[in-house]
Amino acid sequence: MLRIGVDIGGTFTDFAIWKDEGDGYVDIGSHKAPTSRPNFADAVKQGVRDLVARYGVAEDSPILVVHGTTVSTNAVIERSEPPIALITTKGFRDILGIARLRLDKPVDLFNRRSIPLVARENVFAITGRILADGSEDIHLDEAELLDAVETAVARGLSTMGVCFLNAHRNPAHERRAVALIRGRFPDVEVMASHEVWPQQSEYERAMLTLLNVYVKRLMQGYLQDIDDFLVETYPNAKLYITKSNGGIMSAAEARELPIHTLLSGPAAGVTAAHTLGRYLGLDRILTFDMGGTSADVSLIDGGRPMITAQAEVGDFPLMMPVTAVEAIGAGGGSIVWLDGGVLKVGPRSAGSLPGPACYGLGGTAPTLSDAYLIANYLSPKGLLGGRVALDRALAEKAFAPIADALGTDVVAAAESAIDVATSNMLAKISPFLARLGVGASDLTLMIFGGAGGVHGPILASEINIGRMVVPRLPSVFCAFGGLVSDLMHDAVRTVQGQPLTEAEIFDIFATLAAEGRDWLKRQSHEGQVKETEFIHLADMRYAAQSFTLSIDLSTVLAARGGLDAMVAAFHAEHARLFGHANPDAPVSIDTLRVRTIGRQAKPGAVALGSAGALPTPLEHRRIRSGGRWLEDVPVYAWRDLSPHWAGAGPAIIQQDLATILVPPGYGARVGALGDLELVKD
Amino acid sequence: MDPVQTEIMKNRFTAIAEEAATVAYRTAHTTFVKQTQDFQVAVARISGEFFAYPMLTGVVSGSGQTIAGLTRHFPDDELEPGDVLISNDPFSTWGLVTHMMDIHLARPIFVDGKLACFAWSFVHASDIGGAVPGSISPDLFECFQEGLRLRPTKLVKAGAVNQDIVNILKDNSRIGDAVWGDLEALMAAMRLLDLRINALCAKVGVEAFHRGVDDVMTHAEMKARRVIGALKDGTYTFADYIEGDDYGAAVHIYCRLTIRGDGAEVDYSGSSPQVHAAFNFATGSRTHPFLCLGLTNYIQTMEPDIPINGGVMRPIKAYAPPGTVMNAEYPAAMGNRFVAVMRCYDALIGCLNQALPDGIAACGAGQAGIISSAWADPASGRNRVAVVEPFSGGSGGRVRADGVDANDTMIGYLKSTPIEHVEVETPLVVRRHELVPSSFGHGRYRGGAAVAIELESRSPEVTITVRGLDRFRFQPWGVFGGTAGGNSVTTLNPETAPARIGRIKVLRLGERDVLQMISSSGGGFGPPVERKPEAVLRDVLDEMLSVEEAEAIYGVVIAGREIDRERTAALRAGIADGPPRFSVQHGPSRRAFEAEWPIEASIALADAALATPPGLRRFIMVKSRAALDDATKPITPAMVADTVKRIASQSR
Repeated sequence: MLRIGVDIGGTFTDFAIWKDEGDGYVDIGSHKAPTSRPNFADAVKQGVRDLVARYGVAEDSPILVVHGTTVSTNAVIERSEPPIALITTKGFRDILGIARLRLDKPVDLFNRRSIPLVARENVFAITGRILADGSEDIHLDEAELLDAVETAVARGLSTMGVCFLNAHRNPAHERRAVALIRGRFPDVEVMASHEVWPQQSEYERAMLTLLNVYVKRLMQGYLQDIDDFLVETYPNAKLYITKSNGGIMSAAEARELPIHTLLSGPAAGVTAAHTLGRYLGLDRILTFDMGGTSADVSLIDGGRPMITAQAEVGDFPLMMPVTAVEAIGAGGGSIVWLDGGVLKVGPRSAGSLPGPACYGLGGTAPTLSDAYLIANYLSPKGLLGGRVALDRALAEKAFAPIADALGTDVVAAAESAIDVATSNMLAKISPFLARLGVGASDLTLMIFGGAGGVHGPILASEINIGRMVVPRLPSVFCAFGGLVSDLMHDAVRTVQGQPLTEAEIFDIFATLAAEGRDWLKRQSHEGQVKETEFIHLADMRYAAQSFTLSIDLSTVLAARGGLDAMVAAFHAEHARLFGHANPDAPVSIDTLRVRTIGRQAKPGAVALGSAGALPTPLEHRRIRSGGRWLEDVPVYAWRDLSPHWAGAGPAIIQQDLATILVPPGYGARVGALGDLELVKD
Repeated sequence: MDPVQTEIMKNRFTAIAEEAATVAYRTAHTTFVKQTQDFQVAVARISGEFFAYPMLTGVVSGSGQTIAGLTRHFPDDELEPGDVLISNDPFSTWGLVTHMMDIHLARPIFVDGKLACFAWSFVHASDIGGAVPGSISPDLFECFQEGLRLRPTKLVKAGAVNQDIVNILKDNSRIGDAVWGDLEALMAAMRLLDLRINALCAKVGVEAFHRGVDDVMTHAEMKARRVIGALKDGTYTFADYIEGDDYGAAVHIYCRLTIRGDGAEVDYSGSSPQVHAAFNFATGSRTHPFLCLGLTNYIQTMEPDIPINGGVMRPIKAYAPPGTVMNAEYPAAMGNRFVAVMRCYDALIGCLNQALPDGIAACGAGQAGIISSAWADPASGRNRVAVVEPFSGGSGGRVRADGVDANDTMIGYLKSTPIEHVEVETPLVVRRHELVPSSFGHGRYRGGAAVAIELESRSPEVTITVRGLDRFRFQPWGVFGGTAGGNSVTTLNPETAPARIGRIKVLRLGERDVLQMISSSGGGFGPPVERKPEAVLRDVLDEMLSVEEAEAIYGVVIAGREIDRERTAALRAGIADGPPRFSVQHGPSRRAFEAEWPIEASIALADAALATPPGLRRFIMVKSRAALDDATKPITPAMVADTVKRIASQSR
């Protein structure tokens, strides 16, 4: 079966291709096409067409397309969709306006809360009340509800979300409301909070519900477009969509619950790193994905990607488990400037348009990419074998005012800018690692994305990371992530304040697992799921505190452990993370979750053959390091490096869009799977 | 300043400070630290000012502090590597400690055997003993009721913990082990700072380290001076009040801001003497950050990239006379000081409005309410306590933006608790948590709206306590033609048998009793007739303003869902322009009060009282006020001086 992973980026739409299950990781192919705006689907369709032809696959053979899209994410960030309505409980009309109250920067006298997604006039607060124990306190006023919907429809609103207080505990009123609305107003797109993510916390749950319906019509149109094309052209093609939790789902599921796509882009990269880490036997990986505007990091620890339920999309919280990714600093387009005589890098970025000065697209501000070119890390001949030209004169011209102000030459100015950017990253990454309780020296840095190959190694030597891996296909790594993702579903039940017995906990876990099993069945065809795994999680805390930890109880449950064993697992995790535990203190459980994973076929990790001939460097050029030029540094084409080749830094290794800097003091070698490894001497 | 190394060293310092704060947060024991992040870890130079201060974790507003008040008790030759100093004494630490719940630690950092700087940390201990759990109650009036007090002491001597101190600490808190756990977390973070500073010095050299410290502070100073230099030269004054000492008198805060070139002076002389209640604070008769938050926040607003360190304080001189609310002396109580800090902020913003041609902001709700509930657990009979919600009210309208609804700037960092969480954790049903239409001060930029909360008891008895409430009497002021914000109003059983209950100290709710709290709200900025008609329409459509109010207050005629441009223009032409220059609208209550007690009289009373012996001040104030109540109004400073003199001579 031909499998194609597709990921849309700002400049390029990336494809990764796994032709046949007999092929391994080393055979995965890649393809890049310019991203098509505003019809993103065009480049996707054309790319699939080109690849099916290129790989000589019959049109009626089975084809699997796994697609990561940012269509929904962009719509949320830009708020580009038409207005929608919220129906909520009387007394809580400002659930969105008050939000969590907090201002992100209180010292700023002009600070404000972000504007709610739904204006107050379009929030309808309806009589009716369910209490925290699930009992009904006040009947749902159905006439009031229908009046409100009537008003909303008359106002031109055709999309709405329903979120009533305590609906996660008892969805009766929400069920009744959506049934009434769907019956009376069939053209209205409506969903209730218990259908989207039934977890306690009314504001966050309302936001999930609203975001889901906000992007729903848009995503339905977008996915329909691609799906129609596939069905018409390739009768046996199937479309899957990547999720923010690092898994995938069917296109049909994505149309119903597009909320799961909002952070899928960065998550796919981490899934890719996770897979490659397994091939290479790496337990602790820090991913480093540096693009035009930012550098993102994520941690894979103990063989599992880090998950958070506190991510944000645009101005909004995303209270569901997603792969945790942190922005830690500058990207290649970050602008270098002077602030009252002090050199600064970012946070403003030249982005992809006008882009860095050296791209010759009209940018005149000096950027980090210009600094890389001046420092000779990037080839003066350009990227993609010269297809993307880089103009050193433009870069130097952009840096000239900075150099003048610093009283030095452009080379020193460029190197200073790189040093400042590195220190920016350091200021973000130290607390990030501290929060997770990991030391830099235990980590392997996995580098991908456009600018990562230059700055990743510089950062690694600054913070004392001894080992780096650059995947063999660094510039389509997120598309590869789609290829190796599993079907993955998260189910949740809030149990805070309910004194559960052991048996009740087992029951709830079983119900959540059954939900996951059903979900898998709906997403897959016979034989597609090779193995099903359930991860049982509980958000637990000391009863006197409200700070919860997510505890993996899978091993406890597998060993048929009871409540005592669950509580012991909490104390152990508390001690591991914080260095202390209080075994005598009572423990509460707030939330139970089951993650269901339907394992898919994956490419095998078959090693490449033995070493070949010694490569000839493409050229030698001097590069800047530590305030001086290092002369005659060899520059290799990655394709010329055979398996098991090893060389010493300083060196430069080039591959289409990626340029990898091997700093002095590090050695480079090509691993058995064709990836590049950089190890400190 | 080295143009490249300044930025790199700033980032290195930030990395070190943020990492240490994160470690402290991660390993701290008490919920209080986890939830409110009321702690901090930073690095100070030998003279006491911070050069590395976290902004992502912990209390971020303290970078202008100096720790000299703690470290000066230990001459250099008495300090050794591995020492840790401790104190929570507001009276001997120059205002480093601003109330006794804050336990401060410092650790000298030696590089190559020479003192290089200090690691510092503090935590708001959830309980340090005293009269009430949590050690804070608005009614407490002397420090002894607020728990254990430790003067500057060595907690650790060259790495060896002084177990006697530990025992005293543990035995005098209701949760001694947890408090000690927090202190251990802070000490671990300070050890890390020691390690990191030494590693940095090993990498760049100790000289470059000290140069970096100088440079980042100079950079901050330079930026602060640039902002102050752009203010109008002159002296500006402003007065505001906190409601109710133990005799119910208004407690005045009088602020005088002088701008001269790129320097500023903030002086609170003439403000009320310290009160017989828990809202005093200590500032050590020096330039203390709590006295200039309005100014330093303004600097950070104008220069968002300013390095966060003590350099920002260099162009500022601040002063409050000993014995005033904001420079309280032994044995003042200070647990509930935050409203007083907020009011000093408000008064300074009042001055700043006059130092800028177009002003900056109207007054915000001005309270920092924390609603707590307590009830007997039906099964065990044990008393249970839970925080319900923070409760403040909107911020003031600003020179180019409306105020923020439901939350004042000074407590903008507080997070609300999900209602669904409150209802699980307490026997309360929350009937309403909503903005209050038409509640704000009107203006070109309106004030932030009030917030309403209604709590219904589902238990035979729930005790509600709220600390940090204010503004039941005087309204948050509007400026430049904007109107004043609304007062706080609390009502018991609003729908069945409404009873206004005013400021809540301790309130018992029986089963099905409903407590309704409506907050104060922000004042308006600029004349309402200058508000954009589209913004008025938005408020009307959102049902935050009625069509009638739009017409009467804003001169905007709204027909259906549209602005009637013609009639609006006609109506607005007939309304006189607002005052073009600085003016303040305080609302009727304060006007009436000041008609009898002009601020000059309050200042005169404060000055005269401060000249009397500390032990007699309170009685002299109370008796003088009573005597003057019978005098003809308005009261003059001369009358005050005579009265105080007479009563003081009788008191001896």
